[in-house]
Amino acid sequence: MKKGIVIIVVVVAAMAIWAVSGYNSLVTSEENVKSAWSQVENVYQRRLDLIPNLVATVKGYAEHEQETLESVVAARSKATQITVDPGQLTEENIAAYQEAQGEIGAALGRLIAISENYPDLKANRNFMELQAELAGTENRIATERRKYNETAKAYNTMVRRFPKNLLASMFGFGQKGYFEADESASSAPEVKF
Amino acid sequence: MHRFPKYITAAAVLLAAALTAAAIPQKPYPPRLVNDFAGILDQTGKAMLEKRLDAFSDSTSNQITVVTVNDLEGYSPAEYGTEIGLAWGVGSAEFDNGIVILVKPKTSESGGQVNISIGYGLEGAIPDSYAKRIIENEMIPAFSRNDYYSGISGACDVLMKLASGEISQPYPDEGDGRWGALFMLLLIIFVISFAVSRKKGKNDGNGRNGSGGGSIMDDSDFVKGLIIGNILGNSGHHSGWSGGGSIGGGFGGGFGGFGGGSFGGGGASGSW
Repeated sequence: MKKGIVIIVVVVAAMAIWAVSGYNSLVTSEENVKSAWSQVENVYQRRLDLIPNLVATVKGYAEHEQETLESVVAARSKATQITVDPGQLTEENIAAYQEAQGEIGAALGRLIAISENYPDLKANRNFMELQAELAGTENRIATERRKYNETAKAYNTMVRRFPKNLLASMFGFGQKGYFEADESASSAPEVKF
Repeated sequence: MHRFPKYITAAAVLLAAALTAAAIPQKPYPPRLVNDFAGILDQTGKAMLEKRLDAFSDSTSNQITVVTVNDLEGYSPAEYGTEIGLAWGVGSAEFDNGIVILVKPKTSESGGQVNISIGYGLEGAIPDSYAKRIIENEMIPAFSRNDYYSGISGACDVLMKLASGEISQPYPDEGDGRWGALFMLLLIIFVISFAVSRKKGKNDGNGRNGSGGGSIMDDSDFVKGLIIGNILGNSGHHSGWSGGGSIGGGFGGGFGGFGGGSFGGGGASGSW
């Protein structure tokens, strides 16, 4: 009789220990995803911060390009309104965020393209530095997005795999969304056979 | 009907990911800071650069690695450089103070491309516009003359000056950890022998005083220590103790390895 009770106590204790450590690893993994997300937001914010300066510089040389300049400003103000709560990193929220930021990317692309027509602008020291910062920022965005996707993948795998999926559904750990590859990504690696 | 292309796309994406993952050169072993996969530097130049960069890594903990490749495998130079920095862990994990200088030489069918990737910790000291200026002022003029050594070396000069202004802390001595471990080992041996001697001292400590028992045990402890030392230092050197010491030896000189630094995509690229 006594032996049976001991066995039950041991089994329950082992399960409790497993549940606690499993829960904690889910929490840690979710925090990793959140911090990766905040890095993504940081680098997008960095791009937003470059825009006023860039627009002001281009305006001085290319006054006729009002339309392009305004589209950049409009895309920026639209994107600043779309933020994602780190607790709600769902597929839809990330897609909406990505779409708004993608419009800025497209508008900036047009702005850089028209600057080719203005040799004085291209030779401007300030513009050259802004262009270097912008190029660096685009690469930062790509890097942090890739890191976020990797972190989210590790978390999603943990949430979906047995037996941790039992804990995950019990404590409400949902899946996280991913960034989709941009259709316009010019830097997409080419496949060679 | 609509599903089919989706699967093909997914397969293509996976295949592309698998292929590109293999595109980054393997982390060099033994660790090296100058990795001339494209073969554009001569032996003397390589050795000189390696020596300078290694000394810089030792004295300031900032790690600059030079990588040359003939093909970027479809990556942009910025992506390729960042990926190398991340995969190899250039810079220390504490400061994220690594720099990757990537050069893809100009050939008859493709243009030259260059990238400087800056680790998280050095982004303040070397903003993107500085990196761009280094590429345009130091590297591309020399590269256009086919003088790759001068371009790379000139860029390293400027980068070293900028980086050491931000982080300048001698790299932790490679031997430190090993000596620490050796010290701990000796301490453990000492404590064990001490405990054993105390126990023995109590057992036969009938009429004698403690100090007498202790002195006898001291001798046997020394012998014990010598034996343990011999077992540990099985490299078969002169004596047990110097054998133990040689655990830390053999690592002197040469670059000690990358420290696990991280990159966020900062830096600049150029082409000629």
